[in-house]
Amino acid sequence: MNEQLERIYSNYQGKQEELIPILQRVQETFGYLPEGAIASIARFARVPEANVYAVATFYAQFRFSPIGRNHIMVCRGTSCQVRGAPRILESLEKRIGVREGETSKDLEYSVETVACIGACGLSPCIMVNKKVEAKLSPRKIAELFPAKQVAE
Amino acid sequence: MKQLEAARKRAEADWTKLRESQPLVMVGTATCGRSAGAVEVLNALAVEAKRRKLVVKFIEVGCIGSCYSEPIVCVQRPGEPAVVYGNVDTKSAVQIVAAHLGNGEPLAAHALGTLGEGSFDGIPNLWMQPFFRPQVRRVLRRCGFIDPRSLDHYLATDGYKGLEKALSMAPEAIISEVERAGLRGRGGAGFPTFRKWRFCREAPSEQKYLICNADEGDPGAFMNRSVLESDPHAVLEGMIIAGRAIGASTGYVYCRAEYPLALERLRASIADAESMGILGNDVLGSGFSFHIEVKEGAGAFVCGEETALIASIEGHRGMPRTRPPFPAISGLWGKPTIINNVESLASVSLILQNGAAWYAEVGSEKSKGTKTFALVGKVRHTGLVEAPMGITLREMIYDIGGGILDDKPLKAVQTGGPSGGCIPASLIDTPVDYDSLNALGTIMGSGGLVVMDEDTCAVDFARYFLDFARQESCGECVPCRLGTTQLMQILEDITRGRGTPSDIDLLVEMGEAVKKGSLCGLGQTAPNPVLTAIRYFREEFEDHVLRNRCPAAVCKEIISAPCMHACPIDTQAATYISLIAEGRLAEAFDVILADNPLPSVCARVCHHPCEDKCTAGKWGKPIAIRALKRFATDAAKAAGIYPDKKREPRRGEKVAIVGSGPAGLMAGYQLARSGHDVTIFESLPVVGGALAVYIPAYRLPREQLADDIRHIQNAGVQIETGVTIGVDISFAQLRERYRAIFIATGAHAPSAMRIPNEDAEGVIPAMAFLKDTALGNEISIGKRIAVVGGGNAAIDAARSALRTRGVEQVTILYRRTRKEMPAFEEEIEAALEEGVRIEYLVAPVRVLADSGRLEGVECLRMELGPLDASGRRRPVPIEGSEFIVELDTLMPAIGERADTPFLPDSIEKTRWDTIATCSETFATNLEGVFAGGDVVTGPDTVIEAMAAGKIAASMIDRYLRGDPVRRSYSFVRPSLYLPGVTLTDEEIESADRPKMERIPVSRRIHHDVEDEIGLARDQAVAEARRCLRCDLETEHACEALRRQAGDAP
Repeated sequence: MNEQLERIYSNYQGKQEELIPILQRVQETFGYLPEGAIASIARFARVPEANVYAVATFYAQFRFSPIGRNHIMVCRGTSCQVRGAPRILESLEKRIGVREGETSKDLEYSVETVACIGACGLSPCIMVNKKVEAKLSPRKIAELFPAKQVAE
Repeated sequence: MKQLEAARKRAEADWTKLRESQPLVMVGTATCGRSAGAVEVLNALAVEAKRRKLVVKFIEVGCIGSCYSEPIVCVQRPGEPAVVYGNVDTKSAVQIVAAHLGNGEPLAAHALGTLGEGSFDGIPNLWMQPFFRPQVRRVLRRCGFIDPRSLDHYLATDGYKGLEKALSMAPEAIISEVERAGLRGRGGAGFPTFRKWRFCREAPSEQKYLICNADEGDPGAFMNRSVLESDPHAVLEGMIIAGRAIGASTGYVYCRAEYPLALERLRASIADAESMGILGNDVLGSGFSFHIEVKEGAGAFVCGEETALIASIEGHRGMPRTRPPFPAISGLWGKPTIINNVESLASVSLILQNGAAWYAEVGSEKSKGTKTFALVGKVRHTGLVEAPMGITLREMIYDIGGGILDDKPLKAVQTGGPSGGCIPASLIDTPVDYDSLNALGTIMGSGGLVVMDEDTCAVDFARYFLDFARQESCGECVPCRLGTTQLMQILEDITRGRGTPSDIDLLVEMGEAVKKGSLCGLGQTAPNPVLTAIRYFREEFEDHVLRNRCPAAVCKEIISAPCMHACPIDTQAATYISLIAEGRLAEAFDVILADNPLPSVCARVCHHPCEDKCTAGKWGKPIAIRALKRFATDAAKAAGIYPDKKREPRRGEKVAIVGSGPAGLMAGYQLARSGHDVTIFESLPVVGGALAVYIPAYRLPREQLADDIRHIQNAGVQIETGVTIGVDISFAQLRERYRAIFIATGAHAPSAMRIPNEDAEGVIPAMAFLKDTALGNEISIGKRIAVVGGGNAAIDAARSALRTRGVEQVTILYRRTRKEMPAFEEEIEAALEEGVRIEYLVAPVRVLADSGRLEGVECLRMELGPLDASGRRRPVPIEGSEFIVELDTLMPAIGERADTPFLPDSIEKTRWDTIATCSETFATNLEGVFAGGDVVTGPDTVIEAMAAGKIAASMIDRYLRGDPVRRSYSFVRPSLYLPGVTLTDEEIESADRPKMERIPVSRRIHHDVEDEIGLARDQAVAEARRCLRCDLETEHACEALRRQAGDAP
């Protein structure tokens, strides 16, 4: 991990204003903010760890645990809400067996809800990694995702 | 500057050549296009063109804004108008290449419109289409028509001309130009842009900053995203101009990380601008230095607020700071800073390019110019639009938006995102500008307009916004941090059925406090959604806290299943459906019978409000609940378990009911079950009221009705036919002999058409004809019949007339179109199948009579005029369009009135001659006298009449026992929860609503032959299994299932 972090730091000077971009690059590299990364960044920027934690925990973008290979963001923006997003979330949770805020044990899927992905004209929508899937219905959810394996 | 001039000349030449040298195909691949499949379409087009060896230039462009028709492809052959195609998929892509590019014949079927000079047959001009016509596209004018990654395209379309002008002006002159234009901040607050600039200009400092706020966090807003993806240079140009005006040398674009494409395009455009000398130490050789850097947001809505945004750029948590000092004086790193919205900056380039007078030529008095809006929600044409300030909501929704999906009535429009509020349908003529919206308690915000219909719950919607505000609150100040949490919790409680009456005023009080005490705009506006919801939809809040009802059928803990909640008599639809799914038919019937003593009737003629609210119907077809009820009822009869056995009548208080229609029968049944001595008086020789004499037998066979009546009589209800109150017994005598009276005589006096000669012989009210047919009286109506009206009575009369001997032709004359006809859809279809002719948009104006006998009717053609308050278009007569229809009989069916000659003058009536009652208890002003059904409401449905009978019966019961006559409202809950079935993959694939079959038209010759064929057993079970079992989603259900499974609660 340290090597990758050093590579990121080489683009910066360690100023307070670079904190968010650095955190963003670290998360891009590892998929989340791994344990020890915060301490390392604090040392590089010469600020207290609490300072870095404050920033990292304030912004919704940053996560401290890994996400699935297929990270699903269900939009709960206004237009999606009016066009049935809660039902889409339910059918998704039922279909893949992963609830909002959770990651599946095999790290295949993780689900979160987001405030608005900006494709309101085509609501309801979700994003799977970087791809937007729009104009959804429970049937479309069944087409997009295989049914969860029944684990007894 | 010279370098730019040369580049522009070359770009303009290339731009013209682009269209002249070969066919050009533009595909919209911004975020919306991509999510609709534009990249696959582009590939399909390219592959097919290559296969046909066609030389074509492909360009990827941004968004023209009509999201509802994505993916969009524009095809132009040299010398011809361009054709814009919508909803293109890989299949139609291939067809477009073949037809338009290969054969020179555009595909009109897929075309949205043409652009430019000239036209093609059958394809209108794009800008004349309803979605585009009212728009004035200035900020959006390049979006969808240039390659956003090409600086050349920007230059060729007048790009950077505004900057050139600005560089030749003094900074104060630039500010004055923006002042004259009247530009107000497009980010939300609408603060005059020039004023902020001037404060900053006057602040003494060497270093100043210009920040473009591209954080666009309002859910439902994507205007800024579209401009950044489709025309990024327009924003950069505005930034450089602004920088010059205020004296800043560094600019930042703060763009949210959730917009990866926008970030990519911004960065590329900045690099291109730098290499052309448009950005750098010496902008276009003017000596002015300006650099732009991109900063990514990290997912915090509060960072759309100026001081929080500044904190974020500085690398801190996005917590706002107190103002003063304002950013214009002391902002980023303490230096004078101006923050402007993306659209404000794009407008600045236009103002400098075309002048302030041009800019201010559209818009309203205090809100000049155009504004982009994101029109989303329940409209047909969702998308990004740009219109002059002052356009009304009505024009937005019905002209541009194409009206509400499924033509449902409009409920409200949400403006300004989570900082704004809702505007009810009654205020639909409100002009959209800053001050008009502020006056209503909402704000323009960034321009999001979310359209809601009756299926959106005002309480739940307010809760949704408060939840958003609570999550996004930065936590710094107490009123916002705790206030939004408390407001959200109270709203959450209300939506879960735990609200109390005092909660509503508490929300208002607390909301005002949060507004006053919060440090920044987030907290100051967070209560707006709930304050406006209470202001305009207070009764809906009261429904939740006082009556345990959610009219929109959204709040799950309150409604259990929407079908049950929607049923006026609380039938447990989800329960009996789940029993049918398991083949437990007898139990299913028991559940039906528990709430409904007229199952055979409702199974055939109910207008099924349950199906209208069915969740399965939101993404497909609703469950065929009425058909399932019929299946269970027919099965119960076949099994001999219905009608059931006679019960020992208990003799309690004596109650008289006047009228044996659905209201009277239901009331009598309930009162008998409560132990009272009930007698129903019916003046006709048959029992059933409208069920027996107005609803035709082919819809409700007499034997079926007889079964239900026997069931009711078995419960102890006595029915005396041939007794007319006011003739055989006086009302006063009735009051002496009976302790309570329920009046349920219905509404069947015909309304007059109010045209000359309508009393001629041969003009027979539809209701009179139906009654005569039902009673077996002599009917002589000739061969040619016309029925006037569009409701169920008209259709019933028309279909009955066709079944009458001698009749050859039946025509319905209706003054609006089929869409507006209030009759049940199934009935209209059946009528058309049987050969009834329907003439739309006609109205009779004169009966033509000879010696007092009808010969025909003179009609006038109508056209639909503007929308009235109910959202329907009023019919407007077309001058000089009179025509004559020759007839033997004319049957008006244009509405019925209540008529109660037997009641004393002392009874209070409404101005429509219906009986005035307390809306909750059905009590009249006379002691011990209650009324319900059509005699109170005017013509309404069977199930509503039954509901009135049921409630009135419980009120009469209380009255007789000496208890306070007051409604109590309880939650509708299933009496039994069955675990859900698991559908096979094949079922999920193929399950669909079965079509209700009717017997062939050739067999529909007698009134008595029932035309609907019920479902077969396998159809019924399959349909019951398709039910989504919304009843299982409450806490109550989960509890019950846990207990049933044997776990400890």
